[in-house]
Amino acid sequence: MPEWAVVPLILSVIRLSAPMFIAGTGNMYCERVGVLNLGAEGMMVSGAFAAVLGSYLTGSPWIGVLFGMLAGLLAGAIHALVCVEFGGMHAISGLGLTMLCNGIARFLCISIFGSTYSPNVNALQTSQILVGIPVVGRFLSQFSPLIYLGILLGLISWFIVFRTPYGLRMRAVGDDPKTVETAGINVWRLRYSGVLICGALCGIAGSYMSLGQLDRFFDGMISGKGMMAVIAVKMGKWSPGGILGTALLLGLFDALQMRLQVNQTLGLSPELLGMVPYLAGIVVLCFQKGRNARPIALDAAYLRNKYKF
Amino acid sequence: MKGTPGSARNPHLRETAVDIAVPFLLLLFSFLFSSIWILMMGKNPLAAYAALLDGAFGSSTAFVNTIKKSIPIAFASFSIIVSMKGNTFNIGAEGQLALGAMGATLAGALIPGLPPLLHIPVCLWAGALFGMAYIAFPTVMHVRRGVDLLVILLLLNNVANYILQYFVLDLFKSDNALVPSSRSILGSAELPYLIGPPHRMTIAILFVLVSAVVLQWYFSKTVAGYEMRAVGLNREAARYAGIPVRRYTGLALFTSGALAGIGGALEVLGNYHCLYTDFSPGFGYDGIPVALLCGSNPILAVIGSIAFGALRNGSLTMQARVGISNEIISVVQGSLILSVASNYIVRYLLNRKKGKEKVHA
Amino acid sequence: MKYAVEMREVSKRFPSVLANDRVSLCVKSGTIHAIIGENGAGKTTLMNVLYGLYEPDHGEILIKGTPVSFHSAMDAIRQGIGMVHQHFMLISRLSIADNIVLGAEPGRGLRYDRRQAEEGVLKVCQSYGIALDPRALVQDISLGMQQRVEIVKTLYRGADIIILDEPTAVLTPQEIDDLGRVLKGLKDRGKTILIITHKLEEVMDFSDEITVLRAGRHVVTLRKEDTSIPELTAYMVGREVHLGGCKASVDNSQVMLELNHVSCHPEGRQALQDISLTLHSGEILGIAGIDGSGQTELTELVAGVLPCQEGQVTFLGQDITSSSVSKRKAGGIGFIAQDRHRHGLILDFSVEENLLLGMQRRDAFISRRFLRNNSQIRSMAETRIRDYDIRPPLRASQAATLSGGNQQKIIIAREMGAEPALIVADQPTRGVDVGAIEFIHNTLVEHRNRGGGVLLASLELDEVMMLSDRIAVMYSGRLIGILDARTATREQIGLMMVGRRPEEVGV
Repeated sequence: MPEWAVVPLILSVIRLSAPMFIAGTGNMYCERVGVLNLGAEGMMVSGAFAAVLGSYLTGSPWIGVLFGMLAGLLAGAIHALVCVEFGGMHAISGLGLTMLCNGIARFLCISIFGSTYSPNVNALQTSQILVGIPVVGRFLSQFSPLIYLGILLGLISWFIVFRTPYGLRMRAVGDDPKTVETAGINVWRLRYSGVLICGALCGIAGSYMSLGQLDRFFDGMISGKGMMAVIAVKMGKWSPGGILGTALLLGLFDALQMRLQVNQTLGLSPELLGMVPYLAGIVVLCFQKGRNARPIALDAAYLRNKYKF
Repeated sequence: MKGTPGSARNPHLRETAVDIAVPFLLLLFSFLFSSIWILMMGKNPLAAYAALLDGAFGSSTAFVNTIKKSIPIAFASFSIIVSMKGNTFNIGAEGQLALGAMGATLAGALIPGLPPLLHIPVCLWAGALFGMAYIAFPTVMHVRRGVDLLVILLLLNNVANYILQYFVLDLFKSDNALVPSSRSILGSAELPYLIGPPHRMTIAILFVLVSAVVLQWYFSKTVAGYEMRAVGLNREAARYAGIPVRRYTGLALFTSGALAGIGGALEVLGNYHCLYTDFSPGFGYDGIPVALLCGSNPILAVIGSIAFGALRNGSLTMQARVGISNEIISVVQGSLILSVASNYIVRYLLNRKKGKEKVHA
Repeated sequence: MKYAVEMREVSKRFPSVLANDRVSLCVKSGTIHAIIGENGAGKTTLMNVLYGLYEPDHGEILIKGTPVSFHSAMDAIRQGIGMVHQHFMLISRLSIADNIVLGAEPGRGLRYDRRQAEEGVLKVCQSYGIALDPRALVQDISLGMQQRVEIVKTLYRGADIIILDEPTAVLTPQEIDDLGRVLKGLKDRGKTILIITHKLEEVMDFSDEITVLRAGRHVVTLRKEDTSIPELTAYMVGREVHLGGCKASVDNSQVMLELNHVSCHPEGRQALQDISLTLHSGEILGIAGIDGSGQTELTELVAGVLPCQEGQVTFLGQDITSSSVSKRKAGGIGFIAQDRHRHGLILDFSVEENLLLGMQRRDAFISRRFLRNNSQIRSMAETRIRDYDIRPPLRASQAATLSGGNQQKIIIAREMGAEPALIVADQPTRGVDVGAIEFIHNTLVEHRNRGGGVLLASLELDEVMMLSDRIAVMYSGRLIGILDARTATREQIGLMMVGRRPEEVGV
């Protein structure tokens, strides 16, 4: 590949992996506290739509991002209510949540904008502030500020998980909630916090999809990115560094696929190329190693005593 | 532990009552939840639901259309029920439906010179085979390597969607159609009518009824059905009892894929006679709440599927008459699935009173 | 004298049972107080109430004379109460220090200071004379050590009232002596200790006062000097019991089961190493060992649930090394698995369906080659329910609704009802009431008296010694030695349970 093509490819890999990384980091909190989140997709859809709605209503993309985060938080709250409070089935709840969020986003989109495509709204600008940095400045300035926010969130998350009492408790509750309860810690508050943080981060990831990469919302824009985030957590062994690596790998396939679609080099139809990122995700999932990093109590309900039969 | 005198007279009766009440309560909840969104758009939910009912059952044509819509839903729910009996959860019914439809389209269009009595079964087999082929890889990965089935199937649904588009728009496209569609199947593969025009109800509904009865019979009367249920309810205990657990999990998943594939095939053979990219508005996902609400009983699932067919069918009338996007159906379904996921707490609330009457023996 | 703990008329109701019925309990400070009772007598529930895990429905609790009301374990911890649970509450992937400080982590600002945690833990250990390496991972240390971690955990949180739930269940006799010394040391430093147990010998060894609970009610509180083991048994059970069955002399010349240099390593973990033993007809071969020494794996290997990677298993002269579970069942091996909820029963199935489990392919229960023969199954279920006194005697009731003892009887009825030559039982009396224990002991001994073989693994050394003809002692997946039950002593077995060779212990 000629040199002029490498830099744009790297840039687009970073752009495409960012939402998977941010949502994956969110999911890491969720899975670390022992709640499986197949609803990441739904949380991202809520975020993407609410962000556009916020920007449409106020004209400010940053308020849009705030809307997106709050919508993700709300979706997270529903998942937390079902899984943490009600002792529900995590996988089913995640599916329902995805369906619900997709439905609400489509319903509102059609009801407000009259079509499954929103109009163009004010989107986030690129980080022009960084243009002055020598050599790399002209590349760094091309990214949305949300990417930098994502990197920051990843660093903070690493510190939280491995260097704070909250992180210690989070790792403990994912392995054995009963032990954590007997240590005098409120298991449910801990689990709520993990799921809610996840919702907020997925909301931000969704906002990035609609306002950071584009300037509108359309039905099906998340299509599988949430599931990719779930895979990134498993493959990334529940740590921000690993998640970053997996997200970049999955992003690479996505970028290559897009490049091929644009260039038509192989003469393959766009539908066939469209599958590539998903197939890459499946391969990654099937051949991952180190499953023993998995939180032991993942996907297990832990009921409050008052709800026991 | 015995109940004191004066406690619930017949605990079994009460349990049955709870079993029956729960699905209706959950349905009620999801309609109430959806009403909030309808109200937020400044519309009247009662008018909406009235239009929905009218559109679903208001006339004989409406009713027949509801039944038609319920057929793929029923097969999707059978598919999920069978997978649940085998201690897994086939969330890929939507993808298998699409693959099954492709299989049937290929067999229906490419095999000439067969009498209908032979051609139709061949097409159905093709649908079943395609459905099984689709689920083969995830099944092997799940059974052999313990890969998370839900995640892999959810990803594969996206892949199936691309395959469907490729099939309809490129590989097997029709050159002289107004809407992008695949080539049509031959006349010999079209399902005969049970009730002719104007209703045009094909014999597909008979396949639904027969499948439900066969499944029910299999699970309640045969030794293999007993073993599969044992695997589904407690995989480890089944293994300790010497039941070949992996074989049953595999069998359940393959049967599950075949059933969904047949559902997709019937759509092609009975309804469209060719394939569109959006031939399924999410029938495969509709099967999930049906299977969960019906306590994985295939006979009840037929009734549940008709209810969901009614939702699909009536929502179009609702959209036309009250001006509410039929997307609200996804909201109903999503909230329904969420409430099914929390069904433990509903049972807890319903049983709490009963529990208080018991004392230590 | 001042009471450290006073519980007055405490009741705790679960939706299906009244676990504590107006129980009163007074514990003097600076004493060791034992709470005894059968399984299901409500001991653990009462202590969980005291520890704030359950809120009582009725009654009041006074700590050092002040009324308190606990809503969570944190409230109890603040009042100086610590609890060591029967199943250790430790996260195996974290270090000892991490586990001990969990919930009270030292640190500056947002940061968790691990070094400070390790120093704090060492300080507590030194002041009570307990040896621990705070950096070791919990998954790498022995059960006795884990228990010490649990005790240090309560001390680190400043507990002066310490509850221990069945502390000796998983320990060797020697470790039990060590525990006694640790507890005595704590008492001498003014701590108040509550022990829940059902082992009366230890009660007499450790405690100053004893409270007996039965069926959720307080029966009596006695000073140790004023009572005896038979009296306590009578209070606990309400009648006399005869455990251990009645052994007759039988011909045990025929070799039933033979293991020849058997090894097993599931998922790369060395579970069984080079085990050779024989089991004769008319013999109960007991397997002793501390928890996790490979007893469960050995029973599962004989039952065919675990694959045998090396060596040879022979049953009644036939090589069954690679036979399937169902083939072994048909050939005459019955298996009572340890965990009845996970492995023995399908709780959502009816009693009848559970009685059929594993035998559904027998000719008697099949009609027309693939259908279930319902009339045969029904009559089988009714016979079993009658013969084994399963209560309630309804074949259609869901297995989950039965008591632990009756659930265990379903499994015994099923496995014994198939008339096997060999019964493999892994902790068959775990968590059931005395009535059921008596019944299970009698059933196993009768099977032996009829010339059948029994392979019995149990963590209760008393049970093994009472029932067995010979005792095999295991340690860390290896067979240390086989002793004659008539001459073996607790001390010998105890030393072999931690890996000492038979020669070293004077056998």
